[in-house]
Amino acid sequence: MTKTQSTAAFTGGFFRDASTKNIVSISSNHIRNVSDEKGNRWSDKVTVRLQNLIRLTPGWDGYQGRPVSFVNANFAYQMLHSICGPETRAPQIIPGSAGDLQIEWHTLHGDIELHVRGPNDVHAWRAMTGSDPDGEELNLTVNFVVVAQWVKEVTEAPIATETAA
Amino acid sequence: MADTPARPNDLPDFRNPPLNEVVLGVQLNPLLGYQQIQAGEVWRLFRKEFPKSQEHPPIAPMFETFGLPAMGNQFGFITGAPHSRFWFLRPDEDELIQFQQDRLLHNWRKVGDETNEYPRFESMVDRFRNEVNLLEKYLNELAPQDLTINQCEVSYINHIVPSADKPLVASNWLRFLNFGSNEPDDFSCSFREVILDADNTPHGRLICEASIGVKADRQRIIILSLTVRGAPRRNTVESAFDFLSSGRNLIVRKFVELTTDEAHTKWERVK
Repeated sequence: MTKTQSTAAFTGGFFRDASTKNIVSISSNHIRNVSDEKGNRWSDKVTVRLQNLIRLTPGWDGYQGRPVSFVNANFAYQMLHSICGPETRAPQIIPGSAGDLQIEWHTLHGDIELHVRGPNDVHAWRAMTGSDPDGEELNLTVNFVVVAQWVKEVTEAPIATETAA
Repeated sequence: MADTPARPNDLPDFRNPPLNEVVLGVQLNPLLGYQQIQAGEVWRLFRKEFPKSQEHPPIAPMFETFGLPAMGNQFGFITGAPHSRFWFLRPDEDELIQFQQDRLLHNWRKVGDETNEYPRFESMVDRFRNEVNLLEKYLNELAPQDLTINQCEVSYINHIVPSADKPLVASNWLRFLNFGSNEPDDFSCSFREVILDADNTPHGRLICEASIGVKADRQRIIILSLTVRGAPRRNTVESAFDFLSSGRNLIVRKFVELTTDEAHTKWERVK
């Protein structure tokens, strides 16, 4: 798990390197490890995919396409931690041409698309199988409670149900 | 431009608080037309008051998002040539500006014999506002743009120092810690609270971190850090400073909640 970073310049808070200035403090890594998310099904795959997308070469789409911006990738990654449980399947991640990205799940239960246009700027859409094909959409900033529920319904439904669908 | 709101009358106050460091900061969307080679021009904006400089590794972007419970997670790598985090320091180093391509921060801390007085939030935030405005004006000369602020942060870091003739007992200072009959050699703990808008929408977090520290003279102290971080209601400078002011108020009230009456007496609580 990544160590928390500090904006404190001087104080050796427990999340800082102990060598800072004249204060020595104790590492809290053992506390953080309690919620270490090594078990997440999606996290490693998403990390690798985002790494690849921010390294796209300019013009990657044959036009003027820009690589996914670091800030958008970073926001998307942290957003996914608010949306995905340990058992959530990894989404597809598609780059946009303006440094943006789209995160998608498509299952027998329905479809979800999250367009990360920038930090705190997400267009969310979903359509459930058998319901209005136009689906429902939301513009979101930092609160993804609704999307977490969508993802649970679309990706974590019992396998038997999915098989039967 | 709106002035910083006056200190609320009902906000608790101490004559001798254990405050050791205060950080005010904003995190920015990518800046148009800016490259690291221009960092020296940014320093020039502040150099008269902050004539010293240092170079440090950058801090990765941090976002407070809400949904399922999760600890803060960071995307732990960077792309392209990393931009350093530059410190611009005053001659006595009690205040500094931190700048990297997506952040501007202003720190105050106690230095030397630790008798330098905290300039108080209202004064500090006014100066930080001026620094943000200077940066925005400079960036507008590179390419027309308004600063887009995606996260704000205010941190108060306290050093709780026991009397020289008494052992350090955490429960004498912190209401939320009681180790019973055997005080541990050391500890570190943290917790986070969601900050809700009036309509119950989450928009930030209060993060409390407490641990044992050891000063250069080997004295054991408690380091109590309170941070409020989150997205401003709008991504403008004005909205960001509203966030910082309300964040400070939350921190002061939480500090009083978390610390004991005995400690308040020692720190000379006046409100």
